Amino acid sequence: MVSKKLTIVNAQGFHMRPASAFATAMNKYASDVVIRHNGSDVNAKSLMNIIAACIKCGNEIEIVATGADEEAAVAEAAAMIEGGFGE
Amino acid sequence: MLKGIGASDGIGIGRVMIIAEQTLDYIPKEVTDVDAELQRFHDAVDKFCANTEEQAEAIRKSTGPKEAEILLGHITMIRDPFMNGEIENLIKAEQCAEKAVEQICQMFIDMFSATGDEVTMQRAADVKDIRDGMLAILLGINEVKISDAPAGTVIVVKELTPSMTAGINKENIVGIVTETGSQTSHSAILARALEIPAVLSVTGAVTSLSTDEQIIVDGSEGVVITAPSAEEITEFTAKRDSFLRDKRELENYRGQKTVSASGEEYELFCNIGTPKDATKAVAADGEGVGLFRTEFLFMDRTALPTEDEQFEAYKQASLIMKGAPVIIRTLDIGGDKEIPYLGLSKEENPFMGFRAIRYCLKNRDMFKSQLKAILRASAFGDIRIMFPLITAIDELREGKALVEEAKNDLRVSGIAFDENIKIGVMTETAASGVIADTLAEEADFFSIGTNDLTGYTMAADRGNSDVAYLYSPFQPSVLRMIRRIIKCAAKENIPVGMCGEAAANPLMIPLLISFGLTEFSVSAPSVLKVRKNIAKWTKFEADNVAEKVMLMKTEAEVLAYLKSVV
Repeated sequence: MVSKKLTIVNAQGFHMRPASAFATAMNKYASDVVIRHNGSDVNAKSLMNIIAACIKCGNEIEIVATGADEEAAVAEAAAMIEGGFGE
Repeated sequence: MLKGIGASDGIGIGRVMIIAEQTLDYIPKEVTDVDAELQRFHDAVDKFCANTEEQAEAIRKSTGPKEAEILLGHITMIRDPFMNGEIENLIKAEQCAEKAVEQICQMFIDMFSATGDEVTMQRAADVKDIRDGMLAILLGINEVKISDAPAGTVIVVKELTPSMTAGINKENIVGIVTETGSQTSHSAILARALEIPAVLSVTGAVTSLSTDEQIIVDGSEGVVITAPSAEEITEFTAKRDSFLRDKRELENYRGQKTVSASGEEYELFCNIGTPKDATKAVAADGEGVGLFRTEFLFMDRTALPTEDEQFEAYKQASLIMKGAPVIIRTLDIGGDKEIPYLGLSKEENPFMGFRAIRYCLKNRDMFKSQLKAILRASAFGDIRIMFPLITAIDELREGKALVEEAKNDLRVSGIAFDENIKIGVMTETAASGVIADTLAEEADFFSIGTNDLTGYTMAADRGNSDVAYLYSPFQPSVLRMIRRIIKCAAKENIPVGMCGEAAANPLMIPLLISFGLTEFSVSAPSVLKVRKNIAKWTKFEADNVAEKVMLMKTEAEVLAYLKSVV
């Protein structure tokens, strides 16, 4: 298991476009990936679950990946979130 | 007359086309061949995605790539592996595809609606759209084609879905009326992008209007006029034509300098609240940012934003503005805002209490982290610092000293910043107006915040209807205050802007030109209008108007005179 704590920096948080790009990116990995937010685990491969989680700018989250390619999954997730989804 | 929310400006006169809700009723079947039913579901998903791509392509051509992306999001949603898995599980439990799709979509609609978050709740509309699209495919129902509507059609519908909008032909649709939606819903955004007048949230529109009846849609006022008289048709035709003429005329000012009729140049900036707003400022042809409110970074959260987080936001705004000036106002917050982690106690009179610069100077670590973030961002463009609510020169001095401390910290760490960063005062209190002469000796610029300046000068809360009549920037006392602030700035040769609402008021513009304002900062939609209004005046004419106005003793006289000459 690999994990990393991150803060959401883009103004709109995980709204439609970032959430969609994020879920698409995470689906490339064989590992299970979750976003730990407010004490619950959100399936990072599911756009619908990410939207329902209402993750906002400034929220602190943790990305947790478990599986063969866990390192790469967390690295890409962190790069996307820290880069503010290029917004 | 039907009332609603004006969501897209302009006037449309045309004949109603009711887009009735399709009946997507079905009788759930028992599934005997699970594999065949799964295949039917997957085929429907493929067809849905193909349809959506086609619609997105149409909308990309008619409206733009951003709007198309909203629709393409539906593909990612329906392809969501989790959602698909849940639907498949229901089918495997011998539910028919229709029932499985409806049940799982409903689960997400409920989940999104329950969040209480406006943006997330809007996503529920997308899920409804997906559900209806999928059910129509599974049931083999042909969708109503808005694209076939004849010229001069007003679309009347319960809810305008993104997929419906895709079929809209801008040439033929002159108005949109819906029963649901708000200023910020997708329907509103799409209607504005298509430049079609729209009135949303009109209760009972679908039942009270009928196909082919003539109506007038006034998207600027948010009203629908039913069974219009000949006079009303004439009146609104004239209104529509002048709206379109003004709009075309305003476009002539895009990309132009902001200059008076006698050739004096002005800076025309925008007020923004988030880095994303900077995009709107650029799209509106703003020449910079005259007021970047930083409160958004501190609201709706449980702890202070980090220096890095703030730095990213300020840098982002500067990059979006492509190096044009960005004036960042330091935290302007007090006991009137609910920000529990700041530990601000409720007070009797928060607007005269512990807020803005007063709070920041007492919470130096927090303030210094904001100043360092601003300084770091200044390495990426023309960033300036503005202190709010200054009432005594000590506050300016202390603030400047803290900027120097922050600069030293950065030097020690070898971090780049603009050594000559400008530090200005938001002149928004009566006190700052009275001591504007000494403040001007030590500030690099002024920006007049007329909203608070009016309130503090008149000692009147505009939210209190018993005293709101006193709240006017055209009160002689407020005008004298504004003139004094501008004159004091001119004497010390520092720039002086205005970032309050008055800066965009056509009645105020000749006075500001005459007093010698150098920068106007307005909301993005006002930029071209203000540029046009400034271009109307020569300095000589403006001086004549101002001279008369400054001799007048009452607000009523001032307003009556200005209305007669503007």
